Amino acid sequence: MFGYVRPYVPEMKVRELERFRACYCGLCHELGREYGLAGRSILNYDFVFLAMLLWGDRPDCCYEYRRCLPGLCRKRCVCQTSPSLTVAAGYSVILAYWKARDGRADGRGARKLGAAAVCAFLHRAYTDAAGRYPEFDAQVRQRLDALAALERAGEPSLDKPAHEFASLLSFAANAAGEEEKRPLEQLLYHVGRIIYLADGYFDLEDDLKTGNYNPVAARYALREPHVPENVREEILGTLMSSARMSYAAFQLMPVSYWTSVTENIIGLGIPDMIRAVIDGTYKTVRRGLPKSPLYAGGGEMEQ
Amino acid sequence: MSDPYKVLGINPNASDEEVKKAYRELAKKYHPDNYTDNPLADLAQEKMKEINEAYDTITRSRKGGSGGAGSYSSGGSAYQGAGAYQSASNPAYAQIRQALASGNLQYAEQLLDSSPTRDAEWNFLMGSLYYRKGWLDDARSFFQRAVSMEPYNGEYRQALNTVSQANSPYRQAGYGSPATQGGFDMCDMCTAMMCTQMLCGGCR
Repeated sequence: MFGYVRPYVPEMKVRELERFRACYCGLCHELGREYGLAGRSILNYDFVFLAMLLWGDRPDCCYEYRRCLPGLCRKRCVCQTSPSLTVAAGYSVILAYWKARDGRADGRGARKLGAAAVCAFLHRAYTDAAGRYPEFDAQVRQRLDALAALERAGEPSLDKPAHEFASLLSFAANAAGEEEKRPLEQLLYHVGRIIYLADGYFDLEDDLKTGNYNPVAARYALREPHVPENVREEILGTLMSSARMSYAAFQLMPVSYWTSVTENIIGLGIPDMIRAVIDGTYKTVRRGLPKSPLYAGGGEMEQ
Repeated sequence: MSDPYKVLGINPNASDEEVKKAYRELAKKYHPDNYTDNPLADLAQEKMKEINEAYDTITRSRKGGSGGAGSYSSGGSAYQGAGAYQSASNPAYAQIRQALASGNLQYAEQLLDSSPTRDAEWNFLMGSLYYRKGWLDDARSFFQRAVSMEPYNGEYRQALNTVSQANSPYRQAGYGSPATQGGFDMCDMCTAMMCTQMLCGGCR
């Protein structure tokens, strides 16, 4: 369910995109250094975003050139380690592990097997990370338990399960400084809602087929993967309102080294992702960074 | 107080024009309209006050003391008054509105739960409560009910509109969205006509 939060590349400056990529690589190296190969395997855009948001008033990022498996031939520009990358790496391991645990307990068929394998693979990395961030670990565990209970009961409200996931993510704001804590909490809350609900919408077809809980199906009592137009509009409105609220919260954060990149992600990347998920084009843009610049301004995304 | 130039994010030797521009942009960003019913409204208000003060300090010091800066400060402070709730018909509802406005959501929820009537305004207030919590889907359901019970109430319709708006998400904040960039709206048309007019004038 991760990887939804990404920049809208056509509107980025070249240096912003390069910095973003370097930060992505930086998080990957951080995961590798601290948690080994298992850590690297869970790398995703969402936690790059978190690392950038937690940057606070730290000095500008430092870069270095490093080799890695996909970049064997040519060294790549990578962010040097920083406390916010370390925290984001730890949090991502904890969250990925508990998500897999949940899947192992609740999933069916191939999903259950896959989750069990991920669980075993991540266990060591998880023990390390949980030792370092026990509070976050406890919070994730508690929230995901509550979420699983709601899912088992087939909760018909969209907001209740989304609240659990959103609260879990907003807890990460505790790693930020005093000044940005409140807006960041609100920002992450709404981003968490968006991730949970967009993922629910995206998985609708699969979940209906396998019989897993799906928040969108439960809320609108859907039996088939076809979503009526008015329901689609409503969900789009709900998600966009959350996006607006997270942007409003973002405006109240102090300016940091990463502000121009995070502004692109919240202001353009997230709304673009939402539109793509709702109109069904997300599947095609999911891999890699979204779309070529030729895509910009095209009519494809018009409603 | 911190450096007023830093607050506005500009260089101390910026021109008056640049100062004004920076101030206006920030004032638009923190405008109370962007934070109606938002749990962070107080923070936005604080920021607004900060930039108003910074702007006043700069203009006053540039005008050499006391001269003429007052007009700006009054213009700025006009931004501060966040749109308060309209008067309520039922005293119990007035209390709930107050609790909502002050951010005491738990108390507001208690009052709403114990309220004997379930009329349009109750539904609206429930919606407001959920909106503040960030539970936007439930908020919409309540606003919808309020509007269907009292279709001509402007306040309820406005609230429903805010929560169901899907397009042009960040227009208030002055940030274009990719979906609107390819389009050709009335403003573009207007600008195009103005340009044509200018060119035609130049030919003569």
